[in-house]
Amino acid sequence: MSIKVHIHKTHRQSTDGKEVVKTAGNSVGECLKNLVETYPGMQDVLFEKNGKLRNLIEVYVNHESAYPDELKKAVKDGDEIHLTFMLAGG
Amino acid sequence: MAILTANELERYDRQIMMGEIGQKGQEKLKNARAFIAGAGGLGSPISIYLAAAGVGTIRIVDQDRVDLSNLNRQVLHWNDDIGETKADSALAKLADLNPTINVEASCETITDKNISHLVADLDLIVDAMDNLPTRYLLNKAALDMNIPFFHGAVRGFEGRAMTIIPGKTACLRCMYKGPIPEEKFPVIGVAPAVIGSIQATEVIKYIIGAGDLLENRMLVYDGLTMNFTEFKIKKNPNCDHCSYST
Repeated sequence: MSIKVHIHKTHRQSTDGKEVVKTAGNSVGECLKNLVETYPGMQDVLFEKNGKLRNLIEVYVNHESAYPDELKKAVKDGDEIHLTFMLAGG
Repeated sequence: MAILTANELERYDRQIMMGEIGQKGQEKLKNARAFIAGAGGLGSPISIYLAAAGVGTIRIVDQDRVDLSNLNRQVLHWNDDIGETKADSALAKLADLNPTINVEASCETITDKNISHLVADLDLIVDAMDNLPTRYLLNKAALDMNIPFFHGAVRGFEGRAMTIIPGKTACLRCMYKGPIPEEKFPVIGVAPAVIGSIQATEVIKYIIGAGDLLENRMLVYDGLTMNFTEFKIKKNPNCDHCSYST
């Protein structure tokens, strides 16, 4: 079981500069938990203090939005997760 | 349908040559009425290219005055415009660029009180804002009026665009999780140049009825890697803005 997680460039300081991190899990939530275990700095990047995914974080699985209930979204071997965030500038 | 003058036929000759546009398409552009929300980084290329293409009526609204720190990206405004309202500066440039179109510029804040008045009688709304709350106001207004909404946003070297067609596509609110903190966002002028040009392209395609719009597709641009990535966005059946329209 291998899931690739694509890290936004703004967040790569928390993944030792890595753009893609291989992780494992049966859901987005499990994969992100695994990601945070390897790169603890990603905890604050992705989650509120109460464990809720931050409002500005967007999760895509195989280039499709995982919203709503992103963390419960099932994933399988070979899937790719993109983590990005809403932009507000103009 | 307004008939093109000899001057307009010459002005738009290179695009009338295009099979997708032709004289009929140019007449559609002449009859189109666009609302551009913001005359900043995105609003500059959007308004310049829509004016140059001959969109017949452009209403552009911005609450700010031109500041020195705007000039790295807001190419509608020049050094001599510092201190002027962006609305006045935009009006002068756009009217000079294309005197055959009707440009209306207004210096005011877009609110839930005036939004329906500001977009009244117009065919489409283009997002050139610098904050999410006003974007959601525009999104809702477009849905309520059953007119398309052309979303764009930028940060740094990055940007994104999506086209919202009421009753047909996902809207900007379909992925809403709650408010996000406001920030003074970093940006290099070429990022809104790319995204604003994409938004203007979408508007022109919509008006002339050509090509495939960014419907249910968020196009994400990364200027550092020079990659465009597309993400599918699903219409949210529980969206508090668009769930009533199917």
